[in-house]
Amino acid sequence: MTGVWILAENLETGRELITIGRTLADNIKSDLTVITWQSELSQEYIAYGADKVLLLPALPQDQPLQSYIPVIAEQARQDMPEIFLLTSSLLGKEMAARIAGQLNAGLGSECTALRWIESEAALEMDRLFYGGAAVQSIRCSHAPRMATVAPRSYSPASRQEDKRGTIDELPAPQPSPVKLLERNARSQAAGDISEAKVVVCIGRGFMKQDDLDLARQLAEALGGEIACTRPISQDMGWLPEDLCIGLSAKKVKPDLYIGLGVSGQIQHLTGIRDARIIVAVNQDASAPIFAAADYGIVGDLYEVVPRLMQALSK
Amino acid sequence: MDFKLTEEQELVKQNMREFAQKYVDPIAAEIDESGRFPAEVVAKLGEMGYMGMPYPVQYGGAGTDYLTYALAVEELSKSCAATGFTMSVHTSLALGPINNFGSEEQKKKFLPPLCQGKHLGAFALTEPGAGTDVSAATTTAVLDGDEYVLNGTKTFTSNGPVADTFVTFAWTDKSAGSKGMSAFIVPKDASGLRVGEHFMKMGIRASQTSEIIFKDCRIPKANLLGGEGSGMKIAMNCFDHGRIGIAAQAVGIAQAAMEESIAYAKERVQFGKPISKQQAVQWWIADMATDIDCARFLYMRAAWLKDQGLPFTKEASMAKVFGAEMCMKHSIKAVQIHGGYGYIKGQKVERLMRDAKITEIYEGTSEAQRMVIANNMLR
Amino acid sequence: MPDILCCYKWVADEAYIRSGSGGDLDLSMADYKISDYDKNAIEEAVLLAEQHGGTAAVITVGLPDDTKGIKDALSRGPEKAYFINDPAFVDLEPAQTASLLAAAIASPIPYDIIICGEGSSDLYAQQVGPRLAEKLGIPCLCYVQKVELNGSELIAHRKSDEGLEVVKVSLPVLLTVVPDINNPRLPGLRDTLAAGKKPVVEFTAEDLPSIDTAALATTATKAATIKRNSRLFDADAAGIEELVQELKNSGAIA
Repeated sequence: MTGVWILAENLETGRELITIGRTLADNIKSDLTVITWQSELSQEYIAYGADKVLLLPALPQDQPLQSYIPVIAEQARQDMPEIFLLTSSLLGKEMAARIAGQLNAGLGSECTALRWIESEAALEMDRLFYGGAAVQSIRCSHAPRMATVAPRSYSPASRQEDKRGTIDELPAPQPSPVKLLERNARSQAAGDISEAKVVVCIGRGFMKQDDLDLARQLAEALGGEIACTRPISQDMGWLPEDLCIGLSAKKVKPDLYIGLGVSGQIQHLTGIRDARIIVAVNQDASAPIFAAADYGIVGDLYEVVPRLMQALSK
Repeated sequence: MDFKLTEEQELVKQNMREFAQKYVDPIAAEIDESGRFPAEVVAKLGEMGYMGMPYPVQYGGAGTDYLTYALAVEELSKSCAATGFTMSVHTSLALGPINNFGSEEQKKKFLPPLCQGKHLGAFALTEPGAGTDVSAATTTAVLDGDEYVLNGTKTFTSNGPVADTFVTFAWTDKSAGSKGMSAFIVPKDASGLRVGEHFMKMGIRASQTSEIIFKDCRIPKANLLGGEGSGMKIAMNCFDHGRIGIAAQAVGIAQAAMEESIAYAKERVQFGKPISKQQAVQWWIADMATDIDCARFLYMRAAWLKDQGLPFTKEASMAKVFGAEMCMKHSIKAVQIHGGYGYIKGQKVERLMRDAKITEIYEGTSEAQRMVIANNMLR
Repeated sequence: MPDILCCYKWVADEAYIRSGSGGDLDLSMADYKISDYDKNAIEEAVLLAEQHGGTAAVITVGLPDDTKGIKDALSRGPEKAYFINDPAFVDLEPAQTASLLAAAIASPIPYDIIICGEGSSDLYAQQVGPRLAEKLGIPCLCYVQKVELNGSELIAHRKSDEGLEVVKVSLPVLLTVVPDINNPRLPGLRDTLAAGKKPVVEFTAEDLPSIDTAALATTATKAATIKRNSRLFDADAAGIEELVQELKNSGAIA
C-alpha cells in the first residue's frame, strides 16, 4: 500500500494538494507521495509535507508534458496508491482522465472538497455539476481513488524546516506520438483576470464594440481589469477568449465584480461565485444576475456607468 | 389521443426558439421603438426555410404540416410579435391563396421566390369602408384585352410597403353579389400600383402597414386567381387558416408575458418577500398558465384538423377568439405584475401589451369570430 | 478523405433545473438537449469533412427513447449516426460511457479522427474523451481550439494553462474541442426535416461486452444556491452615490 499520491504541477497548487493530501494520508495512516517533474522543487515539496517525492526526468524539447502519462500510470499500476490527487488545471484534468482510463479508476473531476469515509474506506468528493446549478457528492471505494481538486479549494501547506523525506527517480517516458511545435505563453496585453482585485464584466447589454470603452474607463478608475461573458468573446468576437468568465473559461475571485449588461447565465455565475462583492447593472429587472448579486441597479448601463464614474471621482 | 408532438415538430420549435434568441431578441425592442422593418431577419428566415413552411417542396416550400408551421409562428412571436406576424401574414394570406387556388403555372412562377423569402407577400383585401363587411368593398377589375385594369384603394395592408407580391380582391361583376368578386396576383412593379399612407401603429410596430392604391393598374389576365367570381371563397379560405397563425401568435405573446411575469415576480421583493409569494400574483400566474394551455391546444387542434383534411373553420375561429382575448387579458396582467416598471418603455411587457391588442382585431375581429362560431352552432 | 466520428451526449438542460423541497435537484421540468460543447464538436467534424472531402458521423450512448437527440445531431450536418442504447444505460459514469463507445468503435466503426466536446454540460467531468482515447490506444489532444489537417498529419492549437501549445500528430487521433473553435450552425428547417431520413446504426447492450460496474457512488445531489442579498439601488445619481458609499464601507473600493 502506497498511501496518498499527488501530482504537483507547480508550487502554488502543489502546496494546496499537499494540505488535503496530508490530511487524507493521516486519515488512512499512510504516506504522502508527491510526483513532480521539477527537480528543483523536490526538496521543497518534502519541506511542505511530502514523505516521498517521485521525480520525473526532464523531457526533450519537442515533448509535451502529457508524455509523462504512461510512466505515471505504470508506476501507479505497480504501487496502487489508495488515493491519487491532481489539480484541476487543464493539464491536470487531462492527465487524471487518461491515467484513470488506463487504470480503470474512479475519478472525481474538479472537486471542491474531499473527505475520507472510514466506515466504507471511501473517498467522498464534492463537486459542481449542471453548469454550477447543482452540487453532488460522490464516493469511490476502490484504489486508486482519483480526484482532480479545484484550485484554491484548500489553503497552501506551510513549510516545516525539519521535515525529512526520500526522493526517487521515475524512468524516462517513451517518445510521445504527439510532437510539440510551439509553446506560446498567454499574451500579457490584457491582465490576468483570475488574479484581478476588481473585475468589470461586459455583457450583452453593450450595443456595439466601440462602447466597451465605457467599461474600460470604469475598470481603469477602479484599478481593475475588464472581462466579458461568453457571447461577447465568442459570438460577437469583441474581446479575446482570455477575458471570458465562465464554467469552461476563467473563474475569478475579485474583491469586487461589476457586471454591466450581464444577464447571469448559470455558467457565468459559476465563474464569479468566489467574488467577494458582486454588483449588477442591467436594464432587465428579471435578469438572473440580480439574485446572485450583493448590490444591483436596474437601469441603462449607458446612463448608470457615467454616473458611477462621477460618484467615484468625488 | 396523443398530446405529444413529433420529434421533428419539437426540433423545429427548438430551432426557431434558438433562431429567435439569436437574431430577434437583440433587436426586438429597437424595431418596436423605431418601427423599422427587420428585412435582415426576414431574409434570414427565408434562408433557413421558414418563409414557406407548409407548402410543397416542388414550389420551394418545406412541405411541413400546418401544425409545425403554427408552432414556429408561436416561437417567433414570443420574441417579436411583429416579426411573427410578418411571417404569418406572408405564409397564410399571400402564399396560401396562390398555393390553394393558383394554376400550376401561377404556382411555379410565384411560389418559389416567396417560399424562399426572396419575395415578400401581402394580402390586400380591407378597404376604408370595408372591414369585416367584405362585400362593402369598391375596388373593381375590368378585363381589357389580355389585361385586367384595377381601380380602388386598399387599406391596412400588412407587409404593404415591403411586399413584392400582392394578393388582392376586386369586383369583376358587382351585380353578381358575393359571386362577383375575384382575386388577383399583383406584382409590386405593376403599372398603376402605388403604396399610399404608411400607418403608425400602437403595437406590432415593426410590421409594415400601408394603403395600397390601384389607379388604372394593369396586370396580365393570367394573374387572375381561381377564375372570375371565386374571390369571396378564396378570401374566406385564407381567413380560416390565417386565423390559426394569429392564434399561435397570440399564444406566443401571452407565453412571453407569463415568462416575464414569473421571472419578475420571483425577483421583485416587496414587504420583505418576493411578490411571487403573494397569493394574488400566484393566482394570476395560475390563470395565465391555464389559459395559455387552453389557447395552445385550441390552435393545435385547428391545425391538426386542417392537416387531416377535416373541416376546421369553427375551430380556427375558436382558437383565434380565445387566444386573442386571453392574450390581451394576460398581457395587461403582466404589466400589472411588473407595477411601475411594467409601464416603462423598454420593458418587454409594455411592448407585449401593445402588441396583444391587434390579435383581437386583424384577420377577423373577435366579434367576427363569434359570428362564425355562432353560425356553426345555430344552423 | 478522413472519416470523422463525433461523440455527443444527450443531457437535461440545466436551464430547467429547479430546487425541489429540501434543496433536492428537480429535473422533472427538464427538456433535453445536445450537450453545449458537443455542438462545437459536431460542427468541427462537419467542417473538417466539408473541407477535406471526408465523412462525418456521430456516435452517442443513451436510452432507447433518446431518438430526438439523434435527429437533432444529424440535422447539424453529419451523414450517419451510431446509437448505443439500452434501457439500463441510466446515469452512466464517464468510465462506463467510454467503455461502451470503445467497444462499439472496435466493432469496427471506421475513423481517422474522433472529436468530443471538452466536457458535458451536465456532469462536466471531462473524462469520456481522454478515457476513450486510452481505451482505443490512440493519441489524445485536449482543449483544442484550432485544427489544421494535411493528409494524415494533424496540427492542433490547444489551450494550455500557460497559454497555447501547437502540436503535431499522425492520424488516428482523438480531440476534445473548446467552444471557441467554431460557432455551431443553427440547423435550417430542411436540415431538420431531412435528419430523420439519414441512416442510424444501433448497438444494444447485447451487441457489446458488459460494462464494468460503477466505480463511483453518488451519495447526494443538491441544487446549488448562488443567492446573495441583492440589495437594489436607484439608477439616479443619488442611488448610485449611495451604492458607492456602501462599496467603500465594505472595503471593496478604497
